[in-house]
Amino acid sequence: MKELSAAEIMRRLAQLLASIFVLLCFTFLVGRVLPTDPVGAVVGELADPSAYAAMRARLGLDLPVHEQFFVYVWGLLHGDFGKAILTGNPVSTDLAHAFPATFELATLAVVLSTVIGVPLGLLAALFRDGLIDKIARVVALVGHSIPVFWFGIVGLVIFYAGLNWVGGPGRIDVFYEGIVAPKTGLLLVDSLLAGEPDIFWNALSHIILPAAILAYAAMAYITRMTRSFTLEQLSQDYVIAARAKGVGPMRTIIGHVVPNIAVQLITVLAISYGGLLEGAVVTEIVFSWPGVGQYMTNALMIGDMNAILSATIVVGLAFMLLNFFADMAYAVLDPRTRETAR
Amino acid sequence: MASLRGGICGGLAVVALALGLAPASAATPKDQLVIGTSIAQVLSLDPQQATEPKAQEILSNLYDRLVATTPDGKIMPQLAESWSIDANGVTFKLRAATFASGNPVMANDVVYSIVRLMKMDQAGSVHFKRIGFTAANVESIVKAVDAKTVRFELAGKAPSDLLLYRLALGTASVIDSVEVQKHIEGDDHGNAWLRTRSAGSGPFTLNRWSPNEIIILDANAKYMTGAPKMRRVIFRHAPESQVERLMLERGDIDLANALTAADLLIFRDKSGFAVQRVPTGGFYVLSMNAGNKYLGDPKVREAIAYGIDYAAIEKTVMGPYGRARTVPVPQNYEFAIPSPDWRLDVAKAKALLAEAGYKDGFSLTLKTIAQTPRIDLATALQASLAQIGVKVEIQQGNGSEIISAHRARNFDLLLPQTSAYMPNALGAMDDFSSNPDNSREANNAGNFVWRSAWDIPELTKLTAQAAAEPDPAKRGEMFVAMQKKFVELKPAVLPLFERFEPIVLSSRVKGYVGHPNMLTRLEAVTKD
Repeated sequence: MKELSAAEIMRRLAQLLASIFVLLCFTFLVGRVLPTDPVGAVVGELADPSAYAAMRARLGLDLPVHEQFFVYVWGLLHGDFGKAILTGNPVSTDLAHAFPATFELATLAVVLSTVIGVPLGLLAALFRDGLIDKIARVVALVGHSIPVFWFGIVGLVIFYAGLNWVGGPGRIDVFYEGIVAPKTGLLLVDSLLAGEPDIFWNALSHIILPAAILAYAAMAYITRMTRSFTLEQLSQDYVIAARAKGVGPMRTIIGHVVPNIAVQLITVLAISYGGLLEGAVVTEIVFSWPGVGQYMTNALMIGDMNAILSATIVVGLAFMLLNFFADMAYAVLDPRTRETAR
Repeated sequence: MASLRGGICGGLAVVALALGLAPASAATPKDQLVIGTSIAQVLSLDPQQATEPKAQEILSNLYDRLVATTPDGKIMPQLAESWSIDANGVTFKLRAATFASGNPVMANDVVYSIVRLMKMDQAGSVHFKRIGFTAANVESIVKAVDAKTVRFELAGKAPSDLLLYRLALGTASVIDSVEVQKHIEGDDHGNAWLRTRSAGSGPFTLNRWSPNEIIILDANAKYMTGAPKMRRVIFRHAPESQVERLMLERGDIDLANALTAADLLIFRDKSGFAVQRVPTGGFYVLSMNAGNKYLGDPKVREAIAYGIDYAAIEKTVMGPYGRARTVPVPQNYEFAIPSPDWRLDVAKAKALLAEAGYKDGFSLTLKTIAQTPRIDLATALQASLAQIGVKVEIQQGNGSEIISAHRARNFDLLLPQTSAYMPNALGAMDDFSSNPDNSREANNAGNFVWRSAWDIPELTKLTAQAAAEPDPAKRGEMFVAMQKKFVELKPAVLPLFERFEPIVLSSRVKGYVGHPNMLTRLEAVTKD
């Protein structure tokens, strides 16, 4: 396997930057088209037009649209995301607080969906039309067709209010609030670093339900894709030859099929991970989860453009980076793609 | 395969551990009050800036005002020990109190706070402007007589009680001027600093505010009447009604105040919980744009008033949120007149529309914030008005969209809500009965009536006279006259339902009494 050339990496990085710029322009334009009014939110509904106009000027909203865009991009290039109307904080401070919450939730979700989804997909393909396959198909279908919102509420009713198995909405019980100082922003990690096992278990009991619900839809997708990749491989000559030589079904799967579908799976997992970061929005609202999704939703409600743009960029960037790394992995693991890309 | 098996086992182990080891239902601690609510609209905790109801609820516990209103609407002392009223103004004597910083509360702090309110010139200053205060004259109206005495002159002709009720508003909170002045940036009056911090003398101080997550208040041990019973008060963001309900049922929160009518119903007869229906003195209103070619005609507005099934909507939609009432003074206020005979009368409404020249009806849009109970109210109005031939298309939006459309007169029908800043006819009617200049150029977007382009010179004059009348009996007569005039004019700002704020409390909570202006104080609250 040849090494990936520096030029190739640079080319892909340039593509990534261009995509981010397009995303930025698009988000800004969409934001301008929205009929929201951040000024009213700040000065209050009953404010006089003079106070209203003064605040509008202070927020820079009286400038022509292209100038506003220029000011915004100029700030970004200098690492300044601007201030959020919603909180009065620099947006970067807000996002530094919100992103780890979303990241922790999405990461646990991707882990759960992978460790369950991939084996389930493999087994479903191996025992095609058998019981496991049928179960996997039903699971996948349900995961695709039921809205996360409904799932969230039902999950809370059963596991939180009914069975009392998991913690409620929010990241932690109120009486644990403020005990662990944020280091990474990931509560599970921070509580362990601080040597507070009680808080770790409490945080885990809070995250497990939203993560499982978020994971479910992704798991459905991963199972389906794994199954179809595996089925495709199972009909290949090399598998048939291996089976003819007397290699057992499990060994065929592990030794031959999995390495061959690894590249495709990486792409699927990267897409799922990106989707989970974005898709956390609804889950965050149901579970009062203080992440980027909820931050963005509230910013949208008042038309807080700095916050909306920056949150979009952060999520978009995470998505693009995941794709970038998936692409790179693809190129490294499968030399054929690298040759054609050149 | 071993690794796969390991993966599955590992995943299941995590789930099992979490499920098995999750703490059993842990009730909230005895010395902490946990309130479940939506804090999404809390954008500032600067008392001279914030006017949003949820912010008021928090601010009223961080700051004191000179005077406050009791939940049943009487003026009571807070920072003022006493006051004397004369023909030209009110003089307040301050009691011994300290800010959380340790600085004593002085007359200068009171003056600084009111001057700051007028100079910042945001929505919070509107009520003071109506009695003649301006950024230019405030320093000549409010003066420190000595270290502990403050004098307010009466600007214009407004009588002293109109001033007292305004001083009881959240925006008249007294801030620690020594502390705030250390943090002024440019001409911002310390706003950038104060909007996320507290500098008051109230029973609590701000410990933490994480937007959309949590607001924690700590007891102020130096509070003038002693530290409050609750060591902490926590406002927990739970924007989804059903989730909030579950949290309350399981004991993770002690009080919920953003529930939908359906979730409220569950607690009506449930043991262990109590429902409070806090009157606000305000209304759910149908604003009609009198600049619209149909709605400018009083006959059409009257037809609409007869085209609404108030009784059915009260029963099925408003529930604990509202009581049918079409005069903008709550039914149990002094001098309130009975509602006119506007009730669903399809034949009469159709006849009025035919008289106005629209016997085949017409179409209108109705804008509303997508929020309980207004969204359901909009749907019910749509069904009701369809019966008289008025086709209504509903346009939902978020707060800023709908409010900016209202301010810009860009609507046919719209569903705003009001509240009374003082518990009398004038306080409730203020939003409905005054529009000094209806021209578009006046651009008086802060005025509720102007937004409906409803020109009411006579009623405006009568309102101004009532506000300046010092004799309570004569003023009462004027209040009656104002309401009659309002009905006679076939209002373009039609009150539909008196507005209540329903809250559900765990019966562990004692001493919580909801305040009409959301200025609920928590220093006396205890928990079993």
